[in-house]
Amino acid sequence: MLKIIIPTAMLMPMTWLSKPNMIWINSTTYSLLISLISLPYLNQLGDNSLNLSLLFFSDSLSAPLLVLTTWLLPLMLMASQSHLSKETLARKKLYITMLIILQLLLIMTFTATELIMFYILFEATLIPTLIIITRWGNQTERLNAGLYFLFYTLMGSLPLLVALLYIQNTTGTLNFLIIQYWAKPISATWSNIFLWLACMMAFMVKMPLYGLHLWLPKAHVEAPIAGSMVLAAVLLKLGGYGMMRITILLNPMTNQMAYPFMMLSLWGMVMTSSICLRQTDLKSLIAYSSVSHMALVIVAVLIQTPWSYMGATALMIAHGLTSSMLFCLANSNYERVHSRTMILARGLQTILPLMAAWWLLASLANLALPPTINLIGELFVVMASFSWSNMTIVLMGTNIIITALYTLYMLTTTQRGKYTHHIKNINPSFTRENALMALHLLPLLLLSLNPKIVLG
Amino acid sequence: AHDVKTVGRLGGGDRDGKMSEIKKKIQSILPGGDWNPLYDTSHLPPESSDVVIVGGGVLGLSVAYWLKKLEKPRGAIRVLVVERDHTYSRASTVLSVGGIRQQFSVPENVQLSLFSIDFLRNINEYLAVADDPPLDIQFNPSGYLLLASEKGAAIMENNVKVQRQEGAKVCLMSPEQLRNKFPWINTEGVALASYGMEHEGWFDPWCLLQGLRRKVQSMGVLFCRGEVTRFMSSSNLMKTASGEEVNLKRIHEVHVKIDQSLEYQPVECAIVINAAGAWSGQVAELAGIGKGPPGTLQGTKLPVELRKRYVYLWHCPQGPGLETPFVIDPSGTYFRREGLGHNYLGGCSPTEEEEPDPGNLEVDHDFFQDRVWPPLAQRVPAFETLKVRSAWAGYYDYNTFDQNGVVGPHPLVINMYFATGFSGHGLQQAPAVGRAVAEMVLEGHFQTINLSSFLFSRFYSGEKVQEHNII
Repeated sequence: MLKIIIPTAMLMPMTWLSKPNMIWINSTTYSLLISLISLPYLNQLGDNSLNLSLLFFSDSLSAPLLVLTTWLLPLMLMASQSHLSKETLARKKLYITMLIILQLLLIMTFTATELIMFYILFEATLIPTLIIITRWGNQTERLNAGLYFLFYTLMGSLPLLVALLYIQNTTGTLNFLIIQYWAKPISATWSNIFLWLACMMAFMVKMPLYGLHLWLPKAHVEAPIAGSMVLAAVLLKLGGYGMMRITILLNPMTNQMAYPFMMLSLWGMVMTSSICLRQTDLKSLIAYSSVSHMALVIVAVLIQTPWSYMGATALMIAHGLTSSMLFCLANSNYERVHSRTMILARGLQTILPLMAAWWLLASLANLALPPTINLIGELFVVMASFSWSNMTIVLMGTNIIITALYTLYMLTTTQRGKYTHHIKNINPSFTRENALMALHLLPLLLLSLNPKIVLG
Repeated sequence: AHDVKTVGRLGGGDRDGKMSEIKKKIQSILPGGDWNPLYDTSHLPPESSDVVIVGGGVLGLSVAYWLKKLEKPRGAIRVLVVERDHTYSRASTVLSVGGIRQQFSVPENVQLSLFSIDFLRNINEYLAVADDPPLDIQFNPSGYLLLASEKGAAIMENNVKVQRQEGAKVCLMSPEQLRNKFPWINTEGVALASYGMEHEGWFDPWCLLQGLRRKVQSMGVLFCRGEVTRFMSSSNLMKTASGEEVNLKRIHEVHVKIDQSLEYQPVECAIVINAAGAWSGQVAELAGIGKGPPGTLQGTKLPVELRKRYVYLWHCPQGPGLETPFVIDPSGTYFRREGLGHNYLGGCSPTEEEEPDPGNLEVDHDFFQDRVWPPLAQRVPAFETLKVRSAWAGYYDYNTFDQNGVVGPHPLVINMYFATGFSGHGLQQAPAVGRAVAEMVLEGHFQTINLSSFLFSRFYSGEKVQEHNII
């Protein structure tokens, strides 16, 4: 693990000491190299985990997430070049440093063995994200958005600290590798109910669960592009990953306790998809679609069957790449027209045909077109929830239809039709933007050839 | 006891001020309010808005109304109206005489007025706001009476033919018929008259403005009391189909300076609509329109300037009665009835040489004595004994090119749309022009009334859309 952590940490001095015209080139190239170093971790040996040290390990659940995190940093840097071009040099370097710190904390979070270390790093990731949203966001509402983001997550995760300390006292260790063998089934007493709630609420807020999702549209819309990308792609998956780890300790109570959250997720899935149909702001639409996809992951994790876990992992990776790509596309629109309203920038297919191709592919991935891993994830989750209860298939089916509806609505509103007069002189697509989209799409398409890697 | 009372009142007054401030702070912190921990920004416009409308007169508000009405998903577009003069003390809308007629010679003008009168007749269906009283614009459907001398009679007949083709109800009257219908007229020198029988008259422009303002605010349009001082734009050098290079500009930020302060707020925007009335020329110059070698498209300025016009209100007890239409004399003098007490409003357009200085809104009473009264008294003998009650002056957004409006986008600054330059008949065409501009912004072409002859490019190509007046 050190071979990833130390280079990432050293990216920071490299940014500060680079020449002004080399900061972007240096940071992007070296972060790409680091992501290549993390690829061998995908070579997992069956059921067991790769135990690298006392502090770090990776198994077939955390390895894909690790690779996603390291892959995303060069993409974030490429996406931020344009909106940071007018800032002073120190600010640019500060921004890149924030991204690097966030990356470092995320890498360590995904590979932590001790649950307390996981918790500390989980909380620590909030700080660079908050700084990115509130300092470099676009509008005055970003302060509100940052507040919502910070306090929702903090409120949810403080009980988790208490619960983890309690578990440490009772079982004597919080090392994940040991706990999976020592976990005793817990009975349904009141204190255990609170223990269950305390453990799960942090991740529910992070996912987000439908009733606690208020922070997400705000944070996504107000964040700059790199903030949106990392939020959508990785930070939401922290919740899913944490839930999957911690449910091992909480059997068999999950069978009863999960009901309210299952209901909220199933219902929330359909609700947020329907809200997407009425959205006029492009980023807000993509944010709500994130909530909808993550609700599927919550359902999958709470059912706790092997197939649902496989579906959840696949869905997390697929959604990370797709959502991040959609945000990049929305940002390329915003940088040209200076407005996020969909109907003011129509008919882009005529003016930017290559970008229209990327839009099409991203939208098709979003609506879970076979043979992408989005479909595999969704299908596994649908099958697992059908076996859990036959009625859920109605809601799942409705969700799939509405997802297709709003994705195509987004595609046709922005790409098809006659273009408006005031977008006639927008800049053509930069190579950087095309490279960004290609780098998002390439892993997604390659994974559909070998989905075994991401099926935990 | 007295001392205690005064001290109590002083303390109480201070407490009230503090209380309201604390309340405001709490309200802004609660979820839903926009809270800025650094300083209070409630008086500033938002940092970004999809459409910024420069000018909050009847044209600007009409464009805002139609933009919000015609947008497909409701609440999609964020509109900001920037108005410098929040009491409308110098705005042309409220200083206008308020007439509406279809008697134009350009067919598009007739169509615009026809839709506008339909809008005004059904104003309470268009501008209804829940829980607010209905509007009464006090429309007097008394019609317009245009008088023509021998020289202008043929032009007048042509005009009436065009108007009838478009659907206006106008009738031609001979001097004999005139004398029968309006006995107070002296028909000496009049060969022909055209009288609008329906949909013509005058109304209260202030009521229309307030109605639009109220409705537009209920639809979610933001208002800002400030002045646009700068446009930040980015330009692209592109080649047209014929191979020549043009520099296309796009405005991406508008700097709005707050009234009576040095503070300004940069508003990020996608579209700017120039509805600044008489000052549209200055706003266009801020955007860089007209900065180039003269004779090229870059060097074509927006030819809208301020022109001062006087309106006089007089009382004449023997004057014409209730059926008095809006009379326009061949000499250019006009008058109409105002209210029910034998008061009349009127004026005259000065010739090019006697244009008054538009620096202020002071009224020149000698102008009335020399230029307005003699033709009036000649046309309506009863007006020999009139007494001027008051007078005021207002600005025309005068289009020096062809005295007709400019509507639609600029060919080079591609996200600035115009809705200005109507040279005195802007108020009566405002609802229809607002709809046309909104269609242009939302759809990309004019859908209901085709105003392509009113585009900016006619200033470069030289195609005038001029009214054939009988004057």
